[in-house]
Amino acid sequence: MPLLEIENLTVQYHTLHGAVQAVRGVTLSIERGRALGLVGESGCGKTTLARALINVLARNAAITGGAVRFDGVDLLQLSGGALNDYRWRRIGLVPQAAMDSLDPVYRVGDQLVETMRLRGGLTPAQARERAARLFALVGLEPTRLRLYPHELSGGMKQRVVIAMALALQPKLVIADEPVTALDVIVQHQVLRTMRELQETLSLSLLLITHDISVVADLCDDVAVMYAGRIVETGSVREVFAAPQHPYTMGLRNAFPSLRASSARLVPIEGYPPDLASPPNGCAFAPRCPFAVQRCWGDDPVLMPTGGGRLAACHRAMEADVLRIQAPQAFARLEATGSQAVEGGAPGGGIP
Amino acid sequence: MPTRFSFLASRLSQTVLVLWVVATLLFLIFRLMPGNPLVAYIDPNFTAEVQQALLRQFGLDQPLHVQYAVFLSNLVRGEFGRSFFSREPVSQVMWQVLPNTLVLTLSALLLAYAVGVVGGALLAARRGTWAEAWGIPAVLATRAAPEFWVGMLALAVFSFTLNWFPSSGATSPGSAYSTWWAQVASWDFLRHLTLPALTLALYLQGLPTLLMRSTMLEVMDEDFITFCRMRGLPERTILLRHAARNALLPVVTAFALGIGYSIGGNVIIETVFSWPGLGRTLVRAVAAKDYPVAQAAFFLIAVVMIVMNFVADLLYSLLDPRVSHERQ
Amino acid sequence: MSGSERAAALPQWTRAAATWRDALLVTWAVARRDRFALAGLIIYAVLLAVALAAPALAPYNPLDLNYRPDGDVAANEAPSLSHWLGTTNLGRDVFSQVLFGTRVALVVGFVAAFGVVVLGTLVGLVAGYYSGWVDTILMRLADVAFGIPFLPMAIVLVAFLGPSIWNTVLVMTLLLWRDTGRVIRAQVLSLRTRSYVEAARVLGASHVRTMFVHIAPNVLPLSFLYGSLAVGWAILTEASISFLGFGDPNVISWGFMLQDAYNSQAMARHAFYWFVPPGLCIMLAVMAGFFIGRGYEELLFPRLRRR
Repeated sequence: MPLLEIENLTVQYHTLHGAVQAVRGVTLSIERGRALGLVGESGCGKTTLARALINVLARNAAITGGAVRFDGVDLLQLSGGALNDYRWRRIGLVPQAAMDSLDPVYRVGDQLVETMRLRGGLTPAQARERAARLFALVGLEPTRLRLYPHELSGGMKQRVVIAMALALQPKLVIADEPVTALDVIVQHQVLRTMRELQETLSLSLLLITHDISVVADLCDDVAVMYAGRIVETGSVREVFAAPQHPYTMGLRNAFPSLRASSARLVPIEGYPPDLASPPNGCAFAPRCPFAVQRCWGDDPVLMPTGGGRLAACHRAMEADVLRIQAPQAFARLEATGSQAVEGGAPGGGIP
Repeated sequence: MPTRFSFLASRLSQTVLVLWVVATLLFLIFRLMPGNPLVAYIDPNFTAEVQQALLRQFGLDQPLHVQYAVFLSNLVRGEFGRSFFSREPVSQVMWQVLPNTLVLTLSALLLAYAVGVVGGALLAARRGTWAEAWGIPAVLATRAAPEFWVGMLALAVFSFTLNWFPSSGATSPGSAYSTWWAQVASWDFLRHLTLPALTLALYLQGLPTLLMRSTMLEVMDEDFITFCRMRGLPERTILLRHAARNALLPVVTAFALGIGYSIGGNVIIETVFSWPGLGRTLVRAVAAKDYPVAQAAFFLIAVVMIVMNFVADLLYSLLDPRVSHERQ
Repeated sequence: MSGSERAAALPQWTRAAATWRDALLVTWAVARRDRFALAGLIIYAVLLAVALAAPALAPYNPLDLNYRPDGDVAANEAPSLSHWLGTTNLGRDVFSQVLFGTRVALVVGFVAAFGVVVLGTLVGLVAGYYSGWVDTILMRLADVAFGIPFLPMAIVLVAFLGPSIWNTVLVMTLLLWRDTGRVIRAQVLSLRTRSYVEAARVLGASHVRTMFVHIAPNVLPLSFLYGSLAVGWAILTEASISFLGFGDPNVISWGFMLQDAYNSQAMARHAFYWFVPPGLCIMLAVMAGFFIGRGYEELLFPRLRRR
């Protein structure tokens, strides 16, 4: 049984322009002791998904359906107190805004100790000792426990938050864009640290990022998200070697590290759809160079494609052929502008 | 760090500037008072010798710019002349009433801020409920009601109808105490203090309540509060230890400002309850054209207020670790 | 002015006029969205009607002494059919005084608020637009105005200038422009760099024109906000000054009524009918200003509303 099973999860935001479905029926599982990378453009619902797992959503957002089973227990059926018990003790989270996640008026060590005392039931002495060990674990000198957040650099704050996430020895750590705000060298160090910790502590890791090269470096499995849906999953090696969804193919074209350095980078033309009024057919169809008649009217579901992989594409069976055409096809699309009639402003896309 | 130092230095120079402008205004206003320009210092009823002595002491026989210099140096030394009525030195009058004003102001402010901080935090925590929908207009009502009217109602009900509290003064007539401290600690003084302090506190609590509420709401939208939620900290801990502690910074600053502003505004409460303080002294002196006393009372009120503005800046930089630690 | 320049200027004038009109229409938008703001507007409307019709509504001249049928002065009478709110210690009709007090409150409130807002907006516009030493001097002036204890200064000045409601209004204007001034200046500083303002300058608009045609309409909503709050403060301040005995002795204001009641020991006589109504009126009028101001604020800064 996987550690975490997400089934058909939907999350809705209530905005002035009506309801927006940010997560539209996501089904995904995370195996014990493995690192799963969740990639997608910003705004595709990654962060909302992560926060929905422990139900810490923005005030105007609500889970409208589905299940989140942790060790077989559906967290969404739990009462507030019982769910709170899962937060941090079993599922730790490194939030997207880790830089601003520490309370500015308390020393970072005290915040770490507070969490362990209130949630882990440790005595103050135990908590302080453990805090020092956690700091060492994430590569910070224990003397820094006495500093205030503003006295630490961005990378150090990030490490503090990671230490926080590990404080109660959770089985699963969700890291939401954990390094986006850091400069490149520090990014690398922090990511290395996370991977090492994941392996030595045999954690399960859900790493959320828009950067597929990070996933390729650090993760065992990958899930590609687009417009509130998972469009492709599988092991990192297989998915990046032979993507089956045109969106994954496009992503691969857009990132330098996954291709020969001589190859030209081709961004995916156009924008994701407006989720206040999602399209009838495949959400990627307006940007897809391979879209056919069926794609516009019929929304593909995530289907097994063999070897434990899944993809949500009507043409997944032709993937081997499409993959070869993909670089030229995306480049042509970029040259002519999006085929989408509405909302396809030129010059968009990723990264 | 130079930024912090230069910030405080510029605030200090601003404070001195404001003090100087207020002093100069004072000089001009009382010099322009109707009638004889000397009237600001010399009661026409004084004997000729006393008049001459005062003329010399305040340099009133000198040209205007010399008078101005003498005026400033007298201010600095706290020399304001003698009251037209009691004939006492003005500084002595000030020493008698200033402590009463401070006791009244501080007790009312402490009460107001204690109530306001808790009330504001509760209003923030109950966002979107009927408690908020009616709580805010209720707080606005306490700020809209004229203090003297609330004081009159309090007197009519608690003093004249129920006879719970005395209606005027700081002590009962005929009572005598060995020291001022003994007086403040006495039951009689407390009974006199209760109504004015409560009335003042009712008015003053509006600002901390509304301020606390709005900063709490701002803080509760911050990422670190969300992170507290993610960590599953108890709601009470999040609200009190994290949100309220952060929201407190501007409120504490407002407290220091409040000392200044309410000493200025005390003129009303002190008049209604005949509280022998600085404000009532000012009102009576202005009405009776006792210019030396009026001038001194006004200047003292202004000094307290201006100094407290400066203290507020100082406090803020001390309380917020983000500012204070820049010293290292 | 060349032909092309005039053509370019025309839509700007139209736009400016439209913005000024919009600023007024915003008031209605506020009232429609916020029931408290609507209540505030209704209170003002009622007060205005009462103020205009006071001579017709008031059963007696507020300063006349009234007599009982037996010829005695009808002093300290409890409410009755002939004197709805009783009489004062001199036998004057309280109800008539309350009605006439509306006039003073509204005149003082609106004239002072207008003065405060006009002066504050002008200072803010000039300081923010010219910056440099003009700004420095004006903002130091604002610091000084913030440093002066308001009510004591008002008392001293009114005592010095002589008790009249116009002096009260003048003093309030001179002391209370500071808040509006600072806020408007900050807003102007950010507007000054907008492209359309720079474009106007490049096209040869004068400083005065740029300030009043291109920038002023955009800060007007803020001026309105501070104006609606200033009405309340002005009414409250006038009442305080009158209560302390520095008000216009020839004018019946609510503050004057309360001073009258206080001085004649109305509390000791439990004459609630005398001193409760004027205080309530002040409170309602001031609250109306707060409510409208709050509604404005939420419309101008919708971030507050979402919270």
